[in-house]
Amino acid sequence: MTIDLKFEHVSKKYRVRQRREDYRSRHPILRKLQSLRTRAGDFWALKDVSFEVESGEALGIIGHNGAGKSTILKLLSSITAPSAGEIMINGRLSALIEVGSGFHPELTGRENIFLNGAILGMSRRQIAARLDSIVEFAGVRQFLDTPVKRYSSGMYVRLGFSIAAHLDPDILLLDEVLAVGDAAFQEKCLQRISEVKRAGTTIVFISHDLAAVERLCDRVILLQRGQIIASGAPHEVIAQYESALSPAKSAQVEEALANQEKLAEVRALTFQDVTGRNVSVVQTGEPFSARLDFLAHERLSDAVFELFFYGADGEQECQFTTEVSGERIDLNPGAGTIEFSGSGLGLLPGIYYTDIVIKKRGTPKFYDWTQFNYTALRVAPGKLVRGKYYMPHQWRLIKEGASDDRDVTEAAMNNVAS
Amino acid sequence: MNPDISANPIETRRSTSNRHVKIIRPPSFSPLKLLGNLVLLAQYRDLLLALSAHRVKVRYKQSVLGLFWAILQPLSLMLIYTVIFSLVARMPSEGTPYAIFSYVALLPWTYFSTCVTNSASGLVSQPQLVTKVYFPREILPMSYVIAALFDFLVASTVLAGLLLYYRVGLTLNALYALPIILVLTMFSSSVAFVLSATQVRFRDIGLAIPLMLQLWMFVSPVLYPLNSVPARWRTLYLLNPIAGVVENFRRVILMGASPDFYSLGISTLIAVILLPVTYIYFKHVEATVADII
Repeated sequence: MTIDLKFEHVSKKYRVRQRREDYRSRHPILRKLQSLRTRAGDFWALKDVSFEVESGEALGIIGHNGAGKSTILKLLSSITAPSAGEIMINGRLSALIEVGSGFHPELTGRENIFLNGAILGMSRRQIAARLDSIVEFAGVRQFLDTPVKRYSSGMYVRLGFSIAAHLDPDILLLDEVLAVGDAAFQEKCLQRISEVKRAGTTIVFISHDLAAVERLCDRVILLQRGQIIASGAPHEVIAQYESALSPAKSAQVEEALANQEKLAEVRALTFQDVTGRNVSVVQTGEPFSARLDFLAHERLSDAVFELFFYGADGEQECQFTTEVSGERIDLNPGAGTIEFSGSGLGLLPGIYYTDIVIKKRGTPKFYDWTQFNYTALRVAPGKLVRGKYYMPHQWRLIKEGASDDRDVTEAAMNNVAS
Repeated sequence: MNPDISANPIETRRSTSNRHVKIIRPPSFSPLKLLGNLVLLAQYRDLLLALSAHRVKVRYKQSVLGLFWAILQPLSLMLIYTVIFSLVARMPSEGTPYAIFSYVALLPWTYFSTCVTNSASGLVSQPQLVTKVYFPREILPMSYVIAALFDFLVASTVLAGLLLYYRVGLTLNALYALPIILVLTMFSSSVAFVLSATQVRFRDIGLAIPLMLQLWMFVSPVLYPLNSVPARWRTLYLLNPIAGVVENFRRVILMGASPDFYSLGISTLIAVILLPVTYIYFKHVEATVADII
């Protein structure tokens, strides 16, 4: 496997000017001169960072604001230079750091496509060859010769992403590109990125959208104060980040873990659509199922399985459980699968994190708990309704004067109601 | 599967052997790097052209007079100076009508001053580009130079009209105008590199430019002929590269004479030395420009 990107002991220092108040002169000109001489403090945005990305791999970079994520992308795309260390880039690299950043409001959509494409490093001929697909993807054909200042913000973003998504580089850098646009367009973007990845493009992806990171990336790096503190499989690193993210949750985790008795463990959680195919995206209102693979280490009597869904804001949205209905579950040692299924998914479009608990009914003890961030589920727009959730429902039109007896009575009730 | 996406499958990966390996290190100077920068600039020539065309288009969009503004500026200056210096005060103009005498010098001068005024803020006026996307930054000031060159060509049509009106015949010597404009373009680019790079740190540059240009015009033979400068001051005077350029531009077009190689030589020498030096300075600042803009 060839290495496409390599960071070797890279550091980036920013100078931060600090004015020392006690030495300030009263005269404004002297003060100005003093401020030119003030000591600049050093701020290390990255400190001795080393990592490699293999060809065709998708690397996710996560971390708090100010952890150094964007600095890495700025170094990779040559926007700024490192203070120490060496960066190796093998192939043509394109960066999409902010959608539509090169647009000029006075120019038309067409003119902006050529200008923006050129800024991103495409030749005029390359852009002309891709013009149709760019316009098609962005859905702005009607407005191609309208100045972009008359575009809606949605159109603006779609066009910006579309240009960058058609660059066809060897290495693609993406920074928070999904922070904009509606859920449907975000989904379209994610699909496009997956497509680009399947074609063999190496991807470096920075996002706060952890579900998207988990879905796209093969490996994730967690940054903290300019240093890599974790690197590995997406769900492990994301879980580590999540637990560090909320101190309240980590306190809860500590407390709860005291009750853990690891007699069973969660192996995997997968989602299926109506055909039984494994999917990472489910549409609102569509039939779906969730399969939970587990392993029991001993004989467990009266076990309960619980599957929680949390929204992106950390709020608990809903729960599937074997506790309130159905037969009692007694497990023999070995692997097994529990399937939850529903005729119509109630969750509205968005990202949901799952949490799984296997416990014994009626005791505080539990056998396994995934600690808040297990698999992520992305819900795409399907049957859209207003309100907080979709409620599976049927309807029929009841004709007045129909011969069927039941219809007559219902029609009569309908009349009363109106 | 979304039909939009499957409709344009991405080309399969080309062989990895022809990939270009790039190594990024902390900024340092080496002649090899300078060469690499020039190659990179050549690769981005489409962007340079697109941005230059963009400058021209945007400048005249939503303006009623449009391109006529490119003509209006030197033309109105010429009219004002002609009224002052041929009707109110008498200014020597080497036997030619003052209107054409001044216009033929205002043309290269306006080119130079437009370059300087617009390109000096080339980096600072576009922080969204400088901090979000990479391309060789010199393209920003250079695009203003090319746009100004375009304005120069448009305004030259008025010169052609004036030549016809005053029945001034061109000689073969007028072809010297081309290398003279090349020297002026090189010098303008050097000034553009220095000012745009320095303005990132010191915004004073932008404020000082109008005053600086005003003074600069009066120490250049735009409104008066070079021979009205006392002979003992002339060599010092000619250290201003604009002086040699403007004087010789007038000579080859208006007088039909061959250029004065002494004054033009000084201008050329200065421009040839300054261009690489200022370019290296610009590239040095470029490495960290996104951090301080």
